[in-house]
Amino acid sequence: MFLTRSEYDRGVNTFSPEGRLFQVEYAIEAIKLGSTAIGISTSQGVVLAVEKRITSQLMEPTTIEKIVEVDKHIGCAVSGLIADSRTMIDRARIECQNHWFVYNENMTVESCAQAVSNLAIQFGDSDDDGAAMSRPFGVAILFAGIDEKGPQLYHMDPSGTFVQFDAKAIGSGSEGAQQSLQEVYHKSMTLEEATTSALTILKQVMEEKLNSSNVEVMTMTPDKLFHMFSKDQVEEALTRGLLVEHPVTLTVGQKA
Amino acid sequence: MSLVVKPNFPDYQTAPVQRGFNPYADNGGSVVAIAGDDFVIIGADTRLSAGFSIYTREQNKLFPLSSTTVLGCSGCWCDTLTLTRILKSRMQMYQQEHNKTMSTTACAQMLSTMLYYKRFFPYYISNVLVGLDNDGKGVVYSYDPIGHCEKRTHRAGGSAGALLQPLLDNQIGKKNMLNVKEEPVSQQRALSIIKDVFISAAERDIYTGDSILINIITKDGIKEETFQLRKD
Amino acid sequence: MSILAYNGGAMVAMKGENCVAIAADRRFGIQAQTLATNFEKVFEMGPHLYVGLPGLATDTQTVREKLRFRKNLYELKENRLMSPKVFSAMLSHMLYEKRFGPFFVEPVVAGLDPKTYEPFICNMDLIGCINQPKDFVVGGTASAQLYGMCEALWEPNLGPEDLFETISQALINAFDRDAVSGWGATVYIIEKDKVTIKNLKTRMD
Repeated sequence: MFLTRSEYDRGVNTFSPEGRLFQVEYAIEAIKLGSTAIGISTSQGVVLAVEKRITSQLMEPTTIEKIVEVDKHIGCAVSGLIADSRTMIDRARIECQNHWFVYNENMTVESCAQAVSNLAIQFGDSDDDGAAMSRPFGVAILFAGIDEKGPQLYHMDPSGTFVQFDAKAIGSGSEGAQQSLQEVYHKSMTLEEATTSALTILKQVMEEKLNSSNVEVMTMTPDKLFHMFSKDQVEEALTRGLLVEHPVTLTVGQKA
Repeated sequence: MSLVVKPNFPDYQTAPVQRGFNPYADNGGSVVAIAGDDFVIIGADTRLSAGFSIYTREQNKLFPLSSTTVLGCSGCWCDTLTLTRILKSRMQMYQQEHNKTMSTTACAQMLSTMLYYKRFFPYYISNVLVGLDNDGKGVVYSYDPIGHCEKRTHRAGGSAGALLQPLLDNQIGKKNMLNVKEEPVSQQRALSIIKDVFISAAERDIYTGDSILINIITKDGIKEETFQLRKD
Repeated sequence: MSILAYNGGAMVAMKGENCVAIAADRRFGIQAQTLATNFEKVFEMGPHLYVGLPGLATDTQTVREKLRFRKNLYELKENRLMSPKVFSAMLSHMLYEKRFGPFFVEPVVAGLDPKTYEPFICNMDLIGCINQPKDFVVGGTASAQLYGMCEALWEPNLGPEDLFETISQALINAFDRDAVSGWGATVYIIEKDKVTIKNLKTRMD
């Protein structure tokens, strides 16, 4: 990929002769430096779990927020440049509220992803909508939500491409985690099983030891909708889950 | 008092003349809607008029927005034309953006925000939006020109609205009646009440008459019907 | 806003089979503020003669007294009862006398002829233009609503009981859709040998 690097990697709106947009590809690379986030969609609901990198003992872990509420029925996990993600989440929230305001109904998860995607590709030249952004967002997002189609999980990368997934991992440990997800996922998974699996896989791909302060867990269920786990609930999920021997063999050395 | 009588020659007046422009027209017309458990009926007269002249005796004032939603308009006809065309395109845009047809409830809210958006130069229309909600139940939404939206089971709007609304309150809403049991109105009864009230309206309101166009909306689709009124 | 709608009020009269009915609301208010709920707008002018005076309340009372004066003088001079027809002509003439400074009332007259007991109804505008239809007349701020109700509910040859029910339903449902009339109603059913006066309880908002 990097062999054909040339002056074409400077402009965000200039294709290389091979038909590639290098800046976008680099942005996709950038998110592989981010912390790992895992999402699993089951028939009972969706679970999101992310690692929080505690780089210093003096850091306050609760101020790192990587899972956020977009609306009561949509939540997001982000990985990559967190500052960029704030802009995108802001847009997602505005679009959801605007949809509710105009139509008096919840925005679908797909439409929400579409709305954020529209923002994500607004890099390059400025147009009537205002000044352009100088570069693509360095963020990957997992949208977990519930609408009339039931629980859903969407993944979006910096190019604005969004695809629905049963289970998806993003961030530095994503390659290994994705493989593990493929092995453990089955259609009849319960939400509790999914939570346990997500945490188990997260534990395997994380550098630090997993504990209740360096992980965030959120569930999206039809009755409670967006529910962020409290520290105690994470603790409980960890003790409950990690007692179970997980059937996954993990390929080591996935961390960036 | 001056003894000199000042002659008055209007043709030679030099004071500036002010002329006003009224951007609205009242083209009359009435809309009546009744909702039942699994159906909703909306009727509108077909007379389009201005002052003492009749533009046409066969103007449709009902606008199907989807297979389960119909809008009835009366008031300023040019505003109606504009609003319904914008609505039609908004319906299509929603379909394409969200990959589904807009529900009646969503439509109702959207119409309210669209009307309020023109708060200081309103569409001068009395709107009645009917349809089936997400549970297949009949619903009627009525609006004022600046977007106030009310959900109800029966509504008369337009030039004969004041004449017909109390009759619907009485016959459908069972108002001021003793010893009546609450039962949902049947499709047959709703239809005959709509015809009756329009006959009454045509007697007393010069802007309502000629004939009525009725849309009956059920889960099987929209059925059209016409009914003749007096034409004088 | 019109002075005619300053105090509010609704009125209707209907013909029946050998009977007539006249009904009015009981509200007295100043614009949106209700001051009394026992305000009569229909007045007895003879054994079978009633007049309703919806409009500006002060003129309601003034016109009532002027009518009583003129009617009594007529009956003393002529030594006979005044028929509804003559009464209406007199009232119309009285109103037209004030063509350019009118009383703000739109009278409704209902009664039976003193000799033939023929039902009679009519109404007029504030300057005395008489309208004498075969079915019903309305007046006051809820007149549009009353037209709709009466047009649908009235039918020919109603007996006293049916006429009472019809006029009551027409009036109550009409003034429920008018903010400045309502708060109770009075109905008069005028027959050859009796006049029935009923006070109706209605919603008070």
